Order: sequence, then C-alpha cells, then structure tokens
Amino acid sequence: MITTEVTFDELSALMKQAAGITVTPRELKEAAESPFDSFGLDSLGLLGIVGELENRYGQSLPPDSERCRTPREFLNLINSTLTAGA
Amino acid sequence: MSNRRPGRAVVTGIGVIAPNGQRTDAYWKSVREGIGVLDLISREGCDHLPLRVAGEVRSFDPAALIEDRFLVQTDRFSHFAMAAAALALEDAGLGGDIAEPFSVGVVTAAGSGGGEFGQRELQKLWGKGSKFVGPYQSIAWFYAASTGQISIRGGLKGPCGVVASDEAGGLDSLAHASRAVRRGTDVMVVGAAEAPLAPYSMVCQLGYPELSTVDDPALAYRPFTEKASGFVPAEGGALLVVEDEERARTRGVPVRAVVAGHAATFTGASRWAESREGLARAISGALDEAGCAPEEIDVVFADAMGVPEADRAEALAIADALGAHGRRVPVTAPKTGIGRAYCAAPVLDTVAAVLAMDHGQVPPTPNVFDICHDLDLVMSHARPAELRTALVLSRGLMGSNAALVVRRGDDSAR
Repeated sequence: MITTEVTFDELSALMKQAAGITVTPRELKEAAESPFDSFGLDSLGLLGIVGELENRYGQSLPPDSERCRTPREFLNLINSTLTAGA
Repeated sequence: MSNRRPGRAVVTGIGVIAPNGQRTDAYWKSVREGIGVLDLISREGCDHLPLRVAGEVRSFDPAALIEDRFLVQTDRFSHFAMAAAALALEDAGLGGDIAEPFSVGVVTAAGSGGGEFGQRELQKLWGKGSKFVGPYQSIAWFYAASTGQISIRGGLKGPCGVVASDEAGGLDSLAHASRAVRRGTDVMVVGAAEAPLAPYSMVCQLGYPELSTVDDPALAYRPFTEKASGFVPAEGGALLVVEDEERARTRGVPVRAVVAGHAATFTGASRWAESREGLARAISGALDEAGCAPEEIDVVFADAMGVPEADRAEALAIADALGAHGRRVPVTAPKTGIGRAYCAAPVLDTVAAVLAMDHGQVPPTPNVFDICHDLDLVMSHARPAELRTALVLSRGLMGSNAALVVRRGDDSAR
C-alpha cells in the first residue's frame, strides 16, 4: 500500500521508459482526457507500464488497468487500487 | 492501372547499412576498393566464445535515425532494417508522407530474428521472474518484426510479408516483391537486415560446421582457396524499393535495375555436394524467367560459402548452368570483405551488382588471392567492364539455393 499517489510526473517517466514516448507531465495533465493512442502509446506499451508499476509497488493491478483509454482514467484506477491496498 | 499488361519490376531506391558503409555510396566505395572490414568481435559478452571474427556495423547510432517509441520495442536487426528502408525510400524519391499508402507494401527476409532483444528479456525471465519480461518481447524477436515496423513507421499499408527461407531467402524476398509489383502493387520495400552478433545469437551459430573460427580477420573467410576454413558472419543489411517500371518512368525517377528473373531450389542442410545441382537448376530457372542466354551474363556474384566442398559445388554449378561461358564470366564475392549477413548477404550482393552495373566495374573479392577452382574470380582490384546483366547466387546452411538475374536500368531513364 502506498500513501502518495502515482502522479502525472511518474506516468510521464514511465511512458518514456516503457514505450519510448516523450510527453511532459504538464502536457499529459493538460490532455488527461485524451486517448493514450493520441500520445503514440499502444496497448503493449500500456501493458508494460502496468507491469512496471506492479513490480515497483509489489502489488497486482486489476486487469482493467491495461484497458484504460486515457491517462486520467488510468491514474484514477491504479491510485484507487494502490491506496486501498491489495 | 488495373487493365494494363503486367509490367517489369524495377529497382528505384537503395538503402544500405553494412559493416563497410552506412550509406549506399560509402558501401560501394568500400566494395569497389576491396576494403576488408572483418575484425575481432567487439560486442560485450562475446569474448569467451570460440567465434572471434565477424563483420560488425560499428558506430551505428539507431537513436539518431529512429524514434524512441520504435527503438524500445525492436531489436537491432529491425533498427538496421528501419534505417535502411528509410534510406531506400528517400533514394527513390518517396521520403516523407506516402500519398497512396495502400499501394506500398513491405517484404523482408529474416534468418534469426531479434536475438539480442530476446536474450535480454529471457534473462529477466530467469533472473527476476515472468513479471519482469516486457510485453514487446512478444513482437521484437520474431522474423516478422522488421516488416511490421517498417510498415508501421512508414505508414505503408500495401501487401506485407516475411520470407523465412534460409539465407537464400534474401533473393526470394526480391522475387516476392517483384511478383507483388507485377500483380498490381505500385511499390514494394524489400530486403533483409540481420543482427546475429550478440551472445545468445552467436551461441546458436556455434553448432554450424561451416562457421569459421579462425581468429585472424585476414584469413578467416577465404572461399575458393585451398585454405578455405568456413564463413564469417556479419550484421547489417539492405532494403530496396522495387516498383512497376511504367510507374517509375511516370514519376521520372531513375531506373537503377530491372529484376529480371529468379528461381529457388532446396537440396538439404549442409549437403554441399547436392547443392551443385540445386544451384545449377536455380540459375537455369532464373535465366529462363529473365529470357536470358547464359552468354548474356556479364558478372556473377557468387555465394562463396568458404567451405571447400561447397565452393567446389558452386564452381561446378556455374559451369553446369552457364556452360563454357561459366569459365569466362567474371565472378566476384565482395562479401569476403564484410562477412555473410545471412538473409541480408544476397541482398547486399544484389546492391553491389546494381552498383557494379551502374559504374561499369566488377568489384574484387577481398582477402582471396589464390583460388583452386576453374573460375575467373576477380581479385585485388576492381575490373572495368561493360555490365548489362548480373547473376546473384545464394545458398543457406539449411539447404536453400537461389539465383537472381538483374539487368541494368535503361540508360535513357537517367
């Protein structure tokens, strides 16, 4: 369980690391309702981010997390899961 | 465009990423000068292996050529392929956005896929656990990866395919692309690139009895000589743009060469004596398709396996298929200067053939000075010659044989 939430900063860094996508935290936040593919992130890229977060926080994320369409939807889902504990 | 008779498939673009040159002009200069770049393998994690000499593509910087989002999900073999494809499209005047994406297809040949990427992810699997394996493992190490990524990166939505038919598949891919063009696809991006110089990939090759483990770069790969001790592997490759001749002329781009004829046969893994008949039949088939008499062949780019039995079979196959002309025609094997890049080897040879015809020079066979077969092998220096038709030969360790006839582009188009 974590007490601080996964932020746009962390998501931006993960998109770079796992999928080679360059998008600043600010751009990500401003376009948080835009679909991931508008940033160039494909489904395997999102799957890699989910895997990285699971390893980082030692906790499984729900299957729906890799189906999230937008950054907002994704962060809401994983943060509600991570802060609630496994 | 659909009711006209099938036209000829012609080469209008060339992109090369080779150990001896990372652009077409650099490659040709090295090939023409007979510069050998075989060297001790410098890749990390390879020093303990008995394979010491190879043709490495050094100071290749994929990050300077390819976007991060393609780099993270691809192996080095696809990096070479994407870089070469972009060069070829640019050379053909098709850089930038493609106006009719559904009319441009991609076909590549691949011999081993993405070994380095695969090794990295498998090490995560066994070192840390399955949750640490990245999802791009599912696509990066497959034979098909380069075709897919070239298609996605370029927005090319025409017919795509992968030829997995052993080393000679490099020539088969050119035939495949030419057929696609004759069936009505405007443009095909075609060729092969390989990256077999990483620890896992190298271990996979150690079982090949044909592999040279000689550790002197000047002596490791000397086909057609009494000292032939096997072949040396290489990385890199070449992609070509093949399109309909009429379309090329309408676009007003130079026709570099005509893909005139091809045939392939199979005679079994490492059965080099049998490859004589297989290769001879491939040559005859390619000549037939090209409507080309043996005497019209002005230069032969040999397979040059570097294994005495295989070299003998090839020399005999050339004589069998070309008759007396087989002993007179200039034969060359520029790959002795760079090694064999598996499926990419015959594609690089095809590029060398096109450029040789362009420049009127038969390039030499580096590191080879005294041969023990009845061939007119060009050695030491390039030989000036009027070259209108070239024959490119290729064999694979698993038993495939192929021959390709290419003709010089029409001078009037230049």
